[in-house]
Amino acid sequence: MKTTLRKNSKAIIILVVIAAFLFVAARGMSGKDVIITVLRGFSIGSVTFLVAAGFSLIFGLLDVLNLSQGTLYMIGAYVGWTVYVRPDTFVDVLTPILLILAGFSLSSLWERFAKRIQLGAKPQKIAAWVMILVGFGLLALILTRYPIASWDLNNYSQSPITYSYMADQGMPIIPAEAVFQKISPFVAVIGILVTSSLSAFSIALLNSGTATTETANWRKYFVPGVLVLVGVLALVFNARITSWMYGMNSNWLFVIAILVSVISGVGLGALMETTLIRPLYSRPIYQLMLTLGLGTIGVQIVQAVWGRPEFVLPKPALFTGTGGVCPATNLADLFENHCSTILLLGGRVRVYDEIFIPIVGIIVLIVVWILLKRSRIGMIIRAGVQDRQMVEALGINVRRVFTLVFALGVGLAAFGGALAAPSSGLTPMMGEKLLLSALIALAIGGLTSFPGAALGSLLVGLIQQFMIKYGQIGIPLPFTDAVFKPSPPLVPASTVLLMVIVLLILPGGLLGTKE
Amino acid sequence: MKNNTNVFIKNRGILIFFAVMLLAPFLIGLLEGSSPAVILNNRGSMSKFLEGLGIEIFILAMFALSYDLLFGITGLLSFGHSMFFAVAAYLTGIALKTMHLPFWQVVLLVLLVAVIQALLFSLVLPRVKGVTFTLVSLGLASVFHIIVMSSDMINLTGADVGLQGVPVPAFISPVSERLRFYVIALSLLVATFLFYRRFVASPTGRVCVAIRENEGRAKMLGYNTTLFKIVVMVISSLTASIAGLLHALYQPIISPGVADLGYTVMGLLIVLVGGVGTLSGAIVGAFALRLLDFTLRRYIGESAAIITGAIYVIFVLFVPYGIIGTMNLRQFKTKQGWQRLLGLLKPKE
Amino acid sequence: MTVRDTIIETQDLTKYFGAMVAVDGVSIKIQAGTLHAIIGPNGAGKTTFFNLLSGNLKPTSGKVFYKGVDLTGKPIHRMIHLGMGRSFQITNIFPNLTVHENIRLASQAMENMNFRLLLDTAKMDRCEQRTAEVIERVGLKNQSYLPARVLSHGDQRKLELGMILAPDPELLLLDEPTAGMATDQVPELITLIQDVQKSGTKTVILVEHNMNVVMSVSDRITVMHQGKVIAEGTPAEIAANHEVQTAYLGGLYDLNL
Repeated sequence: MKTTLRKNSKAIIILVVIAAFLFVAARGMSGKDVIITVLRGFSIGSVTFLVAAGFSLIFGLLDVLNLSQGTLYMIGAYVGWTVYVRPDTFVDVLTPILLILAGFSLSSLWERFAKRIQLGAKPQKIAAWVMILVGFGLLALILTRYPIASWDLNNYSQSPITYSYMADQGMPIIPAEAVFQKISPFVAVIGILVTSSLSAFSIALLNSGTATTETANWRKYFVPGVLVLVGVLALVFNARITSWMYGMNSNWLFVIAILVSVISGVGLGALMETTLIRPLYSRPIYQLMLTLGLGTIGVQIVQAVWGRPEFVLPKPALFTGTGGVCPATNLADLFENHCSTILLLGGRVRVYDEIFIPIVGIIVLIVVWILLKRSRIGMIIRAGVQDRQMVEALGINVRRVFTLVFALGVGLAAFGGALAAPSSGLTPMMGEKLLLSALIALAIGGLTSFPGAALGSLLVGLIQQFMIKYGQIGIPLPFTDAVFKPSPPLVPASTVLLMVIVLLILPGGLLGTKE
Repeated sequence: MKNNTNVFIKNRGILIFFAVMLLAPFLIGLLEGSSPAVILNNRGSMSKFLEGLGIEIFILAMFALSYDLLFGITGLLSFGHSMFFAVAAYLTGIALKTMHLPFWQVVLLVLLVAVIQALLFSLVLPRVKGVTFTLVSLGLASVFHIIVMSSDMINLTGADVGLQGVPVPAFISPVSERLRFYVIALSLLVATFLFYRRFVASPTGRVCVAIRENEGRAKMLGYNTTLFKIVVMVISSLTASIAGLLHALYQPIISPGVADLGYTVMGLLIVLVGGVGTLSGAIVGAFALRLLDFTLRRYIGESAAIITGAIYVIFVLFVPYGIIGTMNLRQFKTKQGWQRLLGLLKPKE
Repeated sequence: MTVRDTIIETQDLTKYFGAMVAVDGVSIKIQAGTLHAIIGPNGAGKTTFFNLLSGNLKPTSGKVFYKGVDLTGKPIHRMIHLGMGRSFQITNIFPNLTVHENIRLASQAMENMNFRLLLDTAKMDRCEQRTAEVIERVGLKNQSYLPARVLSHGDQRKLELGMILAPDPELLLLDEPTAGMATDQVPELITLIQDVQKSGTKTVILVEHNMNVVMSVSDRITVMHQGKVIAEGTPAEIAANHEVQTAYLGGLYDLNL
């Protein structure tokens, strides 16, 4: 009633602000410039939103500032690239990863052995450390011998840049298959399973003193069973799957690439929350420092694996049509010829970058919004953001919800990375840049507010793009004939300036609640 | 509680450190077979090299100290701390290279700008608290990083290559007068440390600790907490700026990396490894980290950063009090144990 | 003092939280040197009223006068220097600092040495002396070098009282000082509060649930219900007040529903 009215009035004010901003910003620009700039703003805003939304969900519910969000965005992009450009590597890597996961979930198998040996607290601790060292040592030994078809950072003709370029030209290089030489496949499979479950078990032993005993049932073995099965199948049919993926329609391959990067994001998120974040809920500042540290490690790892130089993820066939009726002038032409560009008010607009990404962003916004508003889990999340103790008091397993939200948030970031990769390109620096934009967007919109994340991201995207555009055409200054051209450093500076102003007036952000 | 008023006994740790560090170049010189006179003339190769490493550590330790004051003592987690350091470094470089200012004016200018920066941060302080402050500080620092990196400023800052060829005044040239530079850096570090020690024990410092513990309560006790935070900010900024000035004089290239978030994280890492809020932890942490980094880089190369990152994560997870903090805790426990033992021996009254 | 002055006065003090009114047009005068209790059922707005008095919250409308000076909208840290001290319902201390340090910080606030950066606090004699006095008074002498977090709940409440007493305020606002305390410790604390009030010319305003305590110690009682003052008077008058009884019974009835 009165409160909803107040909320709405705020939304109206914000719409007015955006409209006024657009009106002022667009003065002195031609129609086509305005539309391209606005669309680009939406595009950047959408990608920022995907990272910021996850960030705000995690912060709102868990009170964790996940500063590794940018790195996870970057990892999403690199994973997407690997699946899309080098399916063979992906299929090769799939088996060990699934087996390790299966091993980790099978860790409780070791309990029976542990029960027989009764040790004091200290010997047990030492034994656990020894087992961790042995487990991880052997695992590392096996993994270094496991054959994975990969690229060579030191050899330009086999570097990711070349693979990307050739795939973009429509002539992907299909590298030679990696074969088992140093280790037999059987030993590799069993070895990975055993060593990973041993290490996982000893970690659990170290954490709790005694490993948790759960009642054994078939479900406990169902998930690891499936993982092992899929892993072994991927190994047996490795060559076939690889050639099938290479021969696949690029649109579908792109969809698979995005799916894989989302799944790996979700998996990484769940793993991070359960193993690293969870022990630190009582020390929030340490959590923050931890995520920061993980972020930097992630960047280093990406640099070591994929290299420093920038390369792109080629766009799928749906967005690369040229010649003939392209650039398309109407929708029919666009859909028929899969044009890469379209003419709007006389300006050429790239379909993937400036139409597709914003649409996906809006769809995600709506889906997550509905999820939050309508589903049971969404209601728990919203209630938890309001008052966590209350939710705990209601007897809901908050831990599981925490893991889920963290995984979801990271998944959104990884999705954003894979989605943005074809338009922004991949560099180890991409995460940090985007994290900064996302943080600014959140500070503007309100740290724990989901609509705030959307609004802030949109504003950040629009301001950046208008500043870039003005950097090209210049702002006609009033009362003089001089033209002011904002130089590139002013682009991020302007968003930071907006953030500082907003925070000074409304410390909680535009849509945030007061502390 | 012991009330040891003797300044020398109270600070014996740092004074021993000072003495050892002063003698170290000569001792190392003796080991490689060069006489103290050779060392004084800056001709011993090994000791000169180690002096250089020492200078780097002292600069890092000063930077970390200033961060510990802000974060460990007052509880302000700023992600823009490298800005104080970097602004001072670049300002020194530009003032000497482009503006050709005399050295004493450069020092004054750097200190003045340090205060101005601290006040700029303080403008934001009363408004935003906790995490939002962290974000705002990150934002402010990133703007500076972006400006430094931008190609428009290439004549002044050297953009992503870094600022090179700063004419360093001859009397503290790190090449020909390295021992003097070493002693100056060491003395500055020790002086800063002593000042910080004193500060933390002063009424102002105690209020800062109170702010870290429970800001709302400190306010309710009648303290204008914002004022205290501004004071800490200014002190911290001044210290970081002196470190930045030394960095600019010592390093042949001022790389834009010092303006990066990574450099702040470096400071955080040092403080964390040494022990948050312990002051001496900053020095210990700087030694531990720089030496570790040095060794790793020598034997592993580029991927040393991953290991440094892993150490950071391990410290966050398993050694939250850092080296000094854990040691103090141990000491406290042993002391308690001894007291209990003595209590058993004492006849009951 | 024979003629008792008004030490604190409110005029039409009102506070809205969103659409909900927590404190609704409260005007009271409290005389210096009395022990004044504020009671009322849960959710009556007592704590909010306290927060308005102490400046922790800004009123939606209305004014607070302290010794005839308008305090509305002044920052909290000013209140202490004007001679006001306040405790909280939830224990609010510096958990990792020692008892001594907690009290010392409280008494240091009144000194004008807060920005002497190089002064050793151990040399602030007046402050140290005051601290020792207060620690003695609240009976924490044996624990004075323990970190506050290891104290028992009752001792923490005492420590908190000590922190309020240290600056020697004229007006003490105590929000449920006995909350969560073991029953056998309550009389001790109450005696302490009474002592403090009698020994100086101090005024105590007390929010309390324990009716025995309230009836035995207070000079005057104000009853709040749904943000409004429904009665004020001596303990005897309040005990006989019909409206108060309905409010309390109504409150209980609501709770049982």
